[in-house]
Amino acid sequence: MFKKLLAVSVLLAMTVSFAAAQSGKVTIRFFHRWPMEPRYSYFNQVVAEFEKQNPNIKIEMDSVVNDAYKEKIRVLISSNDVPDVFLSWSDSFAANLVKSGKVKSLNDMLAKDKAFASSFIQSQIKPFSFDGVTYGMPLTIDGKVFVYNKEMFAKAGITKDPKTWDELLKALDTLKAKGYAVPLLEGLSDAWAISHYQGTMFQRYLPAEVLAKDYAEATGEFTNPGYKVVLERFQKLVSYMGPNATSLSHTEVRNQFIAGKLPLIYLQLAEFSYINNAKSKPDFGYFNFPAFADGKGDPGLLTGAPEGFMMSNTSKNPEAAEKFYKFLLSKENMIKFVKDVGAPVAVIGAVNKDNSYPALMGAIDLILSVKGSMPWFDNAVNIKVADAFMRGSQAIATGDKTIDQVMADAQAAAKVVRSEAKK
Amino acid sequence: MISRRLRSTVEPIGFVLPCVLMLGIFVYYPLVQNVIYSFFRFSAFSPEKIFIGLENYRMLLKDGVVLTALRNNVRYAIVSVIVQVCWGLVLAAVLEDKALRRVSPFFRTTFFLPVVISISVICLLFGFIYSPIDGILNNFLTLVGLGSWARPWLGSGKTAIWATIAVSQWQSVGYVMMLFIVAIQKIPEELYEAAEIDGAGKLRRFFVITLPQVKEMFFVTSVITVTGSFLVFNEPYILTKGGGPGTSSMTLAVHMYQSGFFKDMMGYASTIAVVIFLISAALSVVQLKAFKSGED
Repeated sequence: MFKKLLAVSVLLAMTVSFAAAQSGKVTIRFFHRWPMEPRYSYFNQVVAEFEKQNPNIKIEMDSVVNDAYKEKIRVLISSNDVPDVFLSWSDSFAANLVKSGKVKSLNDMLAKDKAFASSFIQSQIKPFSFDGVTYGMPLTIDGKVFVYNKEMFAKAGITKDPKTWDELLKALDTLKAKGYAVPLLEGLSDAWAISHYQGTMFQRYLPAEVLAKDYAEATGEFTNPGYKVVLERFQKLVSYMGPNATSLSHTEVRNQFIAGKLPLIYLQLAEFSYINNAKSKPDFGYFNFPAFADGKGDPGLLTGAPEGFMMSNTSKNPEAAEKFYKFLLSKENMIKFVKDVGAPVAVIGAVNKDNSYPALMGAIDLILSVKGSMPWFDNAVNIKVADAFMRGSQAIATGDKTIDQVMADAQAAAKVVRSEAKK
Repeated sequence: MISRRLRSTVEPIGFVLPCVLMLGIFVYYPLVQNVIYSFFRFSAFSPEKIFIGLENYRMLLKDGVVLTALRNNVRYAIVSVIVQVCWGLVLAAVLEDKALRRVSPFFRTTFFLPVVISISVICLLFGFIYSPIDGILNNFLTLVGLGSWARPWLGSGKTAIWATIAVSQWQSVGYVMMLFIVAIQKIPEELYEAAEIDGAGKLRRFFVITLPQVKEMFFVTSVITVTGSFLVFNEPYILTKGGGPGTSSMTLAVHMYQSGFFKDMMGYASTIAVVIFLISAALSVVQLKAFKSGED
C-alpha cells in the first residue's frame, strides 16, 4: 500500500517538474486595473505583440477594477506573491507600496537608459520618487475638471464658465430652474469619487500650510474649522444631486452624461475618451474647480496625479520584467495607447494631432499650463483619514451622520495615524 | 511477527496523519497565529510588528462600526433563520407532498438553481434590480401603483442592509430546502399512513410527524445559517461596495477585511477575526446544547 502511494506521488512530482522544465519559457506576471474596454483590449494587444517579439517570455496578465485593485495589490504586496510588473497610483499610495521593501528601485535602469528616462514629462516622475529613489514611471497623467454639456448650458442661458463657487451655485440653480431636476450628479457609492471632490475643495479653501501639516502622518490633526466649512459646502453640492446619488457608481453617472441626460459632471481628463468614443458624443466644455471667494488655497492648482507602473524586486526574471516594462512605456506603444484609449500620457510627444482629438490636446495643454497639481485626496493622506472622510460623507449624504460626527471620526482616525507614525 | 505488529500500529497513524497534518497546518496553526497577531500592530507593507498588548481590544470596544456590524450580523441571523430554515422547511414539505409529486422536480431545480450561481453574478444581477435608474424593482413598484415605495434601495442607510439580506435569502433558501427534502424523504412512509388512518390532516401531519422527524436537520441547518450569518462577506462587499453607504451595511467580516487590507491595520483586523471566531464558536456550542444533538 505504502509503496504504491509512494510510487504514485513520485511519479506525479516527476511529471509536474518535467512539464515545467520542458516549456523553458520565462513567465512575467503583469497586474493592472482595467478589465474593461477599451484599455483591456489595448493591453491584450500589447502583451500579444510583446510575446510575438519575445517568444521565450510569457506574460500572465491579470486585472481587477479600481477599488478592488487597491485592496488586491496591497494583499499581493504583503504576501510574497508580488507581480513582476504592476500598476500604482502616485504619492502616498506609491509610498505605502514602497514601504513594503518589495518595489524595485529604477535608478539603475534610468541611469543606464538615458533615452528612456528623458522620454517622460519630468514633473510627472516626481510623484513616484521618494528620498531620491524613483520607483515608478508614469503611464497616464491626469486632472479633474467640471465637464458640461454645451447644448444644455446654452439652453439654460449660461454663457460663462463659472469661475467662483458662487457662480457655480448660481449656474446649478439656473439649470434647476430650467427644468433639470438633477443639474449635477456624482456616483457617491464610489468612495474615491467623493475624495476627488473633497481633496480639491480642501485645497481651494484651506491654507497650504494647514494642509501640509494635516496631510503629514506625524502631525495631522484636522482640527482647523475650515474642514467643517468644506464639508458643509460638499453637502450643498450633494443637495443638487437628487435622491439616488449614494446608490450610483461613477461609471453609471458618466454614462448618464454621455447619454445627454446630465448637464454637469466632475470628470478626470482621462475620461474624455469615453465621451469621445461614444456614439452620442455630446459637445462638451470643461473648467477647473471654481475658487472660493473666502478660500486661502491657490485656485490655480489642478487636482490629479499620474498613474504608472512599478516592478517587483523579488522578481525571478528581472531582465525579462525590465524588457516588458520598457516595452509597455515605449513611445510607439504610448502613441497606440492615446489612439486606442484616448487618455493623456506622460511620454513626451505621444499625444499629437494624428492620434488624438482636440479635447485631449487641450487636456495636455491644461496639465502643462497649471501652476501645479495636487494629488488625489485618498492618495495624499493616510487611508484611515481618507476613509473617515469618504465613508462619513456618504453618511452625510444619506442623512445618517452629521458633519460634526464625521469631523470627530476623521480627527480620531488622524490621532491613530499620528500615534502610529511616532512609534 | 514483530513487523506485523509494528505495521498494525503504524498503519492507522499513516491514515490519520494526512488529516491531522492538514487540520494542524490549515486550521489550528492559523487560528493560534491570528490570536497572537491580535496583540500586535503591524502593516501589511512592512515586516516589523509592534507588540501593543490589549490596545487593539480596547480600540475594538470603542469602535462604533463594530456595533453597527454586529447589529447587521444579528439581523442577518434572525432573517436567515426565519426565511431560510423555517421557510425552507415549509417549501420542502410542500414539494414533498404527494399532490405535487409531478411538478416538484421542476420547482426543486428552480429553487436550487441560485445556489449554484456564483455570488458575484448574483450581486451584479441584483445591482441591476435595485438600480434607481431603470431598476426593475422600482419600475415594478411604480407599475403596480406603489410608486411611493420606490427608493434607492442600496443607497439609503436605512434600506441597504435589508436589501442585501434579501439577496442572501433568495440565494440560499434553495440549499436549506434541499437538505430538508433529503431529511423528509428519510421519514418512514408508515408514520404518515398511520396518521392518515387516524384522521390527521396535512397540517397536523406536518407538525406531528415531519417537524419532530427533521429535528436533527433543523439543528444542522440552523447552525449553518446562523454561523454563516456571522461570516457573511460577499453580499455587502459587492452590493454596497464594502458596507456602504457610510458604514450602514457593514458586517463583521467586511469590517475585518477593510481594516486589514484597506486601512492597513492588520493587527486590528486579527482582533476582529478573533471576535468573529468567538461568536461563531459560542453559537455552535449554544445550539449544540439547546438541541441536545447526537443523543437520539
